[in-house]
Amino acid sequence: MESFYSQFSYLRLMSGKDFFVDRYRRLGWEFDDVQLRQAIRINVTNSKGKNLEKRLQTIGIHLEKVPFLETGYWVRSSKVSVGATAEYLLGLYSIQEAAAQIPATLFTALKGKTLLDTCAAPGGKTVQLADLMDNTGAIIALDVKKRRLAALSNHLERCHVRNAIVYHLDVRQASRLNLKFDRILLDVPCSGNFAGDRNWFTRRTIADVKRNMRLQREILAEAVACLRDDGEIVYSTCSLELEENEVNMDWAIKHLNLQIEEVDCYGQKGLTEFFGRRLDASVERCRRIWPATTQGFFICKLKKLVSKQ
Amino acid sequence: MKAIMKFAFQLGAKISLKADFIVEKGGRYFLLNDALLKIARKNFYYAGTYLGKVKNGKFFPSFNLLKMLAKGEANKIIVEKKAAWLFICGRDIFRKGMLSARGSRRKGTHTLVLNEFGECLGFGKIVYSLDEAAKKTEVAVKNVSDVGDFLRRES
Repeated sequence: MESFYSQFSYLRLMSGKDFFVDRYRRLGWEFDDVQLRQAIRINVTNSKGKNLEKRLQTIGIHLEKVPFLETGYWVRSSKVSVGATAEYLLGLYSIQEAAAQIPATLFTALKGKTLLDTCAAPGGKTVQLADLMDNTGAIIALDVKKRRLAALSNHLERCHVRNAIVYHLDVRQASRLNLKFDRILLDVPCSGNFAGDRNWFTRRTIADVKRNMRLQREILAEAVACLRDDGEIVYSTCSLELEENEVNMDWAIKHLNLQIEEVDCYGQKGLTEFFGRRLDASVERCRRIWPATTQGFFICKLKKLVSKQ
Repeated sequence: MKAIMKFAFQLGAKISLKADFIVEKGGRYFLLNDALLKIARKNFYYAGTYLGKVKNGKFFPSFNLLKMLAKGEANKIIVEKKAAWLFICGRDIFRKGMLSARGSRRKGTHTLVLNEFGECLGFGKIVYSLDEAAKKTEVAVKNVSDVGDFLRRES
């Protein structure tokens, strides 16, 4: 990795909007200001037989199905705050960005499984996983920041989640739980992207990206140690930076006994050739979402290979 | 455990909870299923179904517990749309907002408050006997706790 940076040492020096916009252009995406659309996700378990779409319409919330999501809807127009309706407070739906709804849907056969949800607060994906699992099995949800655990717990209570256990724990210490997981959701801390943060370009540098990349690798390594053979990891970030996405996945399959799985979901193929560098061809199976109506996002499904004894 | 049963009794509800499945942590009570009990460590922050907490000797039920109680026999009032919204905003229930009542109608007893869809919005205390021909503008049920609390917790 060091050679990668020394080869392109200008990356160390440059930051700011011009630098990043130029970088995206060289990766094949023209920068454009984005208009994020508010999205909700229907909690199927809680809203069975309630015809929620019609019910929300009667209070002035008009929805439009997100084409690439089964239970996701754009808020087309709303006369009221979507986060302050009785239906929201009763856990019939959650407010969740459309791209962020994808990762949890990529696991196979979730019911009855033991799942680790790392960096779980504020709990949007935890609640979604519980819904997909129909409250069976167990979700172990971790977050390193104690003050965020209250928001996570409120979210679980509001949506009547029954199969989660929450710990105040750094995911890099997950082995302490002495559990082997069938599935692990790694929605890792990342540099984010400009779509949801007006000041992103002035706040972020390549040094941040590198720091996050190292942290993400530590998290990946610990996750693999807690994962059963044949178990699945879904890795996601809301970063657009290669180092936190494709480059990290390339590193993971070369160092952590993992393989990248095919996924059938929204997004472009992962980048495998850029800046004179070539990654493993399977990195193409990842999904990269450039910001448009959703925020920027990156998703990869990994499977742990059976250990050779 | 006692606090939960006592609270259920106040609402005229019966609830059967196996003591082995209830875990108390710092005054907060959680109901765990078999699968969770096997793997939960003592130092969890939240687990299973949160039932409520005891603070200064008083029990504060969770909305999970209220939902569980609402499924069975209990004191309940059903309120119309506007009254339901006002209740969520922390307001009391006026007689005119009530559609029906089940269970005890006596002044001083607690009752669950449900919307027209039968969903539990919280609970309150009957402050004016529901049997009496009270004025329609009289407060009938005083708000004790409502789901709008989720928003108030965040602010």
